[in-house]
Amino acid sequence: MPSYDVMPEVQLYQPTEVDDALNLAEKFRQQGWLLGGGQDTYGWLKDRAKNPTALIDLNDIEAFKGIKATSTGIEIGALTTLRDIIRNPLINDHFEILAKAAGRVASPQIRNVGTLGGNLIQDTRCWYYRRGLACYRAGGNLCYADSPEAMNREHALFNASRCVAVSPSDTATALVALNATMVIKNIDGDREMSAEDFFVGPDTHITQMTALEPGEILTGIKLSNEWSNARYYFEKIADRDVWDFALVSIALVIKEEANTVKDSRMVCGGVACTPYRLNKVEQYLKGNPLSEKIITNAAKIASQGAETLNYNHFKIPLMENLVKRALRS
Amino acid sequence: MEFATLKKDVWGREVILGASWDLLWVILALTFIGIAMHAIIAAAKKRKAAPDSSGKRIERHEKIDRIFHWVMAVSMFVLLITGIFPKIGIEFAWLTIHWVAGLLLTVITIFHIFRSIFWQNIKDMWIGLKDFKEPFDESYKPGKYSLAQKSMHASVTILTLLVIVSGIIMFALIDTPWWERTNALSEDILGWVFLIHGLVSLALVAVISLHIYFGLRPEKLFYTRSMIKGWISEHEKDENHDQEKWVVKD
Amino acid sequence: MNNYKHIGKNFIPPDIYGKVNGKAKYAEDFRADGMVFARMYTSPVAHGRVTDIDTSAIDNMEGVVGILTADDVPSTEAPNAAILTNNPAFIGDPILAVAATDERIAEDALNKIKVKIETLPFAVDPLDSLMEGGPDAREEGNVFSRSREGSGFKKIKWTKKQIEEFRAGKEPTGEHATEWNYGNLEQGFKDAALIIEEPFVTTGYAHMSMEPRTAMAYWQNGTCYVYGSAQSQSFWLPGLARLLGVEQDKVVLISENTGGGFGSKIGAYPAAALPGYFSKKLGRPVQLRITREQEFYIGSARVGFQGWIKLGFAEDGRMTAGDVFIIEDIGPNATGGDGSSAGGAISLLYDPEAMRFRGLPVLTNTTPRGAQRGPGQNQIAAIMAPLMDKAAKALDLDRLEIRKINAVNNETTVYAEQRPVTSAYMKEALQKGADLFDWDTKQQFPQKINAPKVRGLGIGQGYHSAGAKGFDGLIRIAPDGKIHLYSGVGNLGTYSYASTTRAAAEVLKCEWDDCIIHNGRSDKNLPWSSYQAGSVSTYAQTRTNYVAAVDAVDKMKNIAAKIHGGKADDFDIDGRHVHHKTTPSKSSTYAEIAQAAIEFGGTFSGAIYPEDIHDITKRSVQNIAGTGLVGVAKDKLPQNGVIPGLAAAFVEIELDLETGKYEIMDYVGIAECGTVVHPQGLDAQMKGGAVWGMGMAGLERHVFDPQNGLPANIGYHQCKVPSYLDVPSVTRTDAVDLPDPQNPFGARGIGEPAMGCAVAALTSAISDALDGYNFGRTPVSSDMILNYVTGNNQSFKPLQTNNF
Ligand SMILES: Cc1cc2nc3c(=O)[nH]c(=O)nc-3n(C[C@H](O)[C@H](O)[C@H](O)COP(=O)(O)OP(=O)(O)OC[C@H]3O[C@@H](n4cnc5c(N)ncnc54)[C@H](O)[C@@H]3O)c2cc1C
Ligand code: SF4
Repeated sequence: MPSYDVMPEVQLYQPTEVDDALNLAEKFRQQGWLLGGGQDTYGWLKDRAKNPTALIDLNDIEAFKGIKATSTGIEIGALTTLRDIIRNPLINDHFEILAKAAGRVASPQIRNVGTLGGNLIQDTRCWYYRRGLACYRAGGNLCYADSPEAMNREHALFNASRCVAVSPSDTATALVALNATMVIKNIDGDREMSAEDFFVGPDTHITQMTALEPGEILTGIKLSNEWSNARYYFEKIADRDVWDFALVSIALVIKEEANTVKDSRMVCGGVACTPYRLNKVEQYLKGNPLSEKIITNAAKIASQGAETLNYNHFKIPLMENLVKRALRS
Repeated sequence: MEFATLKKDVWGREVILGASWDLLWVILALTFIGIAMHAIIAAAKKRKAAPDSSGKRIERHEKIDRIFHWVMAVSMFVLLITGIFPKIGIEFAWLTIHWVAGLLLTVITIFHIFRSIFWQNIKDMWIGLKDFKEPFDESYKPGKYSLAQKSMHASVTILTLLVIVSGIIMFALIDTPWWERTNALSEDILGWVFLIHGLVSLALVAVISLHIYFGLRPEKLFYTRSMIKGWISEHEKDENHDQEKWVVKD
Repeated sequence: MNNYKHIGKNFIPPDIYGKVNGKAKYAEDFRADGMVFARMYTSPVAHGRVTDIDTSAIDNMEGVVGILTADDVPSTEAPNAAILTNNPAFIGDPILAVAATDERIAEDALNKIKVKIETLPFAVDPLDSLMEGGPDAREEGNVFSRSREGSGFKKIKWTKKQIEEFRAGKEPTGEHATEWNYGNLEQGFKDAALIIEEPFVTTGYAHMSMEPRTAMAYWQNGTCYVYGSAQSQSFWLPGLARLLGVEQDKVVLISENTGGGFGSKIGAYPAAALPGYFSKKLGRPVQLRITREQEFYIGSARVGFQGWIKLGFAEDGRMTAGDVFIIEDIGPNATGGDGSSAGGAISLLYDPEAMRFRGLPVLTNTTPRGAQRGPGQNQIAAIMAPLMDKAAKALDLDRLEIRKINAVNNETTVYAEQRPVTSAYMKEALQKGADLFDWDTKQQFPQKINAPKVRGLGIGQGYHSAGAKGFDGLIRIAPDGKIHLYSGVGNLGTYSYASTTRAAAEVLKCEWDDCIIHNGRSDKNLPWSSYQAGSVSTYAQTRTNYVAAVDAVDKMKNIAAKIHGGKADDFDIDGRHVHHKTTPSKSSTYAEIAQAAIEFGGTFSGAIYPEDIHDITKRSVQNIAGTGLVGVAKDKLPQNGVIPGLAAAFVEIELDLETGKYEIMDYVGIAECGTVVHPQGLDAQMKGGAVWGMGMAGLERHVFDPQNGLPANIGYHQCKVPSYLDVPSVTRTDAVDLPDPQNPFGARGIGEPAMGCAVAALTSAISDALDGYNFGRTPVSSDMILNYVTGNNQSFKPLQTNNF
């Protein structure tokens, strides 16, 4: 077995104009690899586990960067670094949960170059898959992580379908909670979709994590004022407090009125292949006060339907506890 | 042309991944050409007048067998669509539908096997040496089923059994409400199973296309009707079948 | 506090500059004219037999320079590690290497080579292999014991029932391979008022040296120059020469800086010899770069334990008996020996009146094992700490008290042979730590703090033998008055190569600025020095530097007597001059003395040297002979008994019952290593050791997929080394600083206990936070804690290892 760790031969394109980038994306489609901060790129390429012919570096396109206020909320360029998001006053004033989540990503060094788009689109961390094995997600015909003896402590509780990998992105949970809108471009134009629809599971898309099609670029993320300044809670539990992925994380935004819950959005990371929205909990909470009894029930509802693997049943109490903490906060 | 695609197994050895899905286009093209050629030749030939469908009706297919046929047809369609569409880029949550349809197909196939052994005259479908006279001897008439029908049935039988067996093996390798997947198969055997399942499915695409084509041909349409309504007319029977070989019980 | 000029004082080790400004060179940084890059193809299977290697696809590939296979290197007998092998016994076992003009071509070429391997049964958990009908990690057997009486393979199987009983925590009844004991065990347990009996598991994990074991080599006039990543310097040469099949004087090792070894680079390892063979075959310099992934394959790992322990305590807390059974996961190469060391550590740290150790080293097809910081001692430290707490609770004793009652002291006799110790002050270490930590006050605090958090306090004790003797010291005083100090101990990053040379400066009373250290290349005339491992350097190398300096001073006085008349004893030194004690005007500078030494020749200039020094030292002396006054001697200072390196740690944690995670609020580590030689170096050891201990207690572990034998740990992320935020922002350290009588400066070593005390303190604190529940396991990860708190089963089978 060879062990690779130097960059293989790949053409590098560094467009400065949006149109050039879109044309390159269209020209190379699957063979082109869009490059943000590269933190989930270089490893794949150096390991030769993914072998694109072209790297399309998006970092020189100013239009894809920055955070600006709009009439309905704010818009964040997909190439904005996590560091800029963490420090941005607009975000901290109105959507602090996103800054919190971004602040828990990886390590300061990675956040300095890692982009929001890259963080959202990054691939799953299933260790079998990262090893370069030809599992379902890599186009193969079996899952190594879901087998009678597999080591799958980090894998999914919900919505698995053959592949049991989980969504690794910390910002994704926050953005689904905030009901963000993803702005996507290709040479034919733009389309927008909700963050919730953007992340796709293995039942429909076993080889991809998002609804992005070849030739498409995520250009921005819109946050509407719907949830700005709402009470929020974000917590991520990982083995290590820096440089590690969530075992389970939770993002909650909640609006209360007269001591009852008016509306809420609650999302867990690390438990499904996509950020896992706790719809049933949200429904249950609506119109209810956040009493200890309601909170306990909500936690139970949250974990309903969980299907455990060999090593991940601890995620159930962890998830339930995080739901409780979020609601008690 | 490659029949199989390859992958590396967990230990880096080259093993079969499954059927090459490029074959689908080849199969579809060949089937289309075949059908087109048949249609042209058939059109060029002088067509005999179709036998009269009025008059005495003779039961060709019992209701239960008709139901079986159409349930099988539906499940087969569902299986082919859910199996093949995702391979050609049309993505949807296909897996559960696929295995449910597969289970249905398996159950009714078992039913059909039992029924054909114990309740039907299995000899009606048996292909004998004599049957091969039929294409060459205009005067030779078959029994209840023509050689073409028997061949169609035989190929569908073989293919269906293969696809069911391979499908069941694959079924054991996913989680279902009843069990968690096993690890019993090595990756190279698994590859063969996928290959068989894939190639057989592709063959089924061809065979079923032909089946549909013939079922819709004007001179054969009465068979299709019989599969819906159950009967053919005595004229239709006499014109196409040997009285002695197809003895109708009253 | 002592009155030394250098010992016990901080200084700036010369290699610091390079590490700060980036100029320090590691093996990978060296280049040579015409050098080519080699990369290895390693086994994709856990156990197999290579049946065919097809390299035809790269035969004419541009840039490919050559291929090296197992046929090109000497074969090795199983279970020993080979340079290249056709019988791989773990995933990552090196099979062949390809050299090319650049690294990418080498990688491209590797991708094209086809190797056919017939797979064989493999085991990743010793208990699977022990089970009747279970797989053997080697075709020759599943057990390999190394002992002085003889080493060899065995095939040992236990019945299903025996395995199940062992898993259920019962005393193992299956066959074992090694045993030692002392005292009357039966009586010990009879005398006990309390008996504690528990199974335990410590999962092995990678050494994770930051610098992979890259090496570059070329041949010049029949000598092989190896640029390697070595933990020791001189000590490598015999092994490296053996691996290369040449005489010791035909190999030069260059290892100026080493990015960590932790026991995995003590002696020459096969990968360091590969470029030598390749270079010989190709006739040009070859650099073999080891990738991060490969470092995880061949970079060695801690031995894992699956064991059972029974302890007896008298009413007053004294340990009356200890009985321990350890199945050691010794990987494919039968490396380790941790089990017996663990037994030894129990005998020393808790001094049971009677004791028995039984061991069973079982081969697995996992990462090859090797000594890792406190090999055996630290695993058992982690297991023992909560058991001591349990005993204290049952006997209604203070947890600190029970440790003091059993603490090793100057009278303690240890191991099977009940040997004496050179000195030991564990009680003092515990007290010093308790004072600094404020144990008494902290114990008064409530355990429940703001829910869902609970507090836990832990005490840990660490031990490793910390000294060696019999190595050589070499110094030279040049005619310009400069003092040249030769250190062949290796530079692992602990600075002890430099701090121990200060022993010579101390004897010579000279200024540190006048000293020049020579190290990092074996052709720099280095003496035969101790290995840089086993916490021995400080003890061993202060002794060698001392004897060399004493020899030099003796020669200086003799020369002064020759110049000024009188007897040598009439003269004394002051750091610059050798002068007559009563007639100070009869004085010569060190420079003048050195010049005179050259003129007098003989022993003074090194032309004649002691016969009992090592060949390596002899050659070095021959090289420097005639260039100054040479002080050279073998360390024959008296030494009797076990030289203990000891440490005690106190830790406070806050454990979150809802997440299973804990935060370390306070940590105090106390070294008991005799006289402190280098305070900053000691502080770094105590802190670094603490981080290691914290990793072992809660995070680090091997994970192998049992179905395919795949290791999950092939990068830093899955290995879970503690990060900056997982350790306390302040770790407090101190030392007992009482001299050991058997070292001229009273020094002993500390590297390994620095970690053992930390892992033990943490397992103790976790157990304390959970009202005394003992996992009997390392690591105790957050999911295990959560499963326990929620009342769920653990995910793993009892005693399962190499799992999440
Ligand atoms: C050691 C380590 C620890 C980590 N820990 C965490 C963690 O705790 N939490 C967490 O969330 N992440 C973690 N990560 C992942 C890391 O944060 C993300 O990989 C990083 O944010 C990705 O951003 P990037 O810009 O560097 O991505 P890139 O590597 O540039 O891109 C990642 C993927 O997104 C695609 N892409 C990038 N931009 C666009 C775009 N605009 N349109 C379409 N496709 C695009 C790329 O083609 C690629 O497939 C960790 C990574 C490492 C290496
Ligand atoms: S969980 Fe998904 S990514 Fe991991 S091995 Fe299974 S199919 Fe591949």
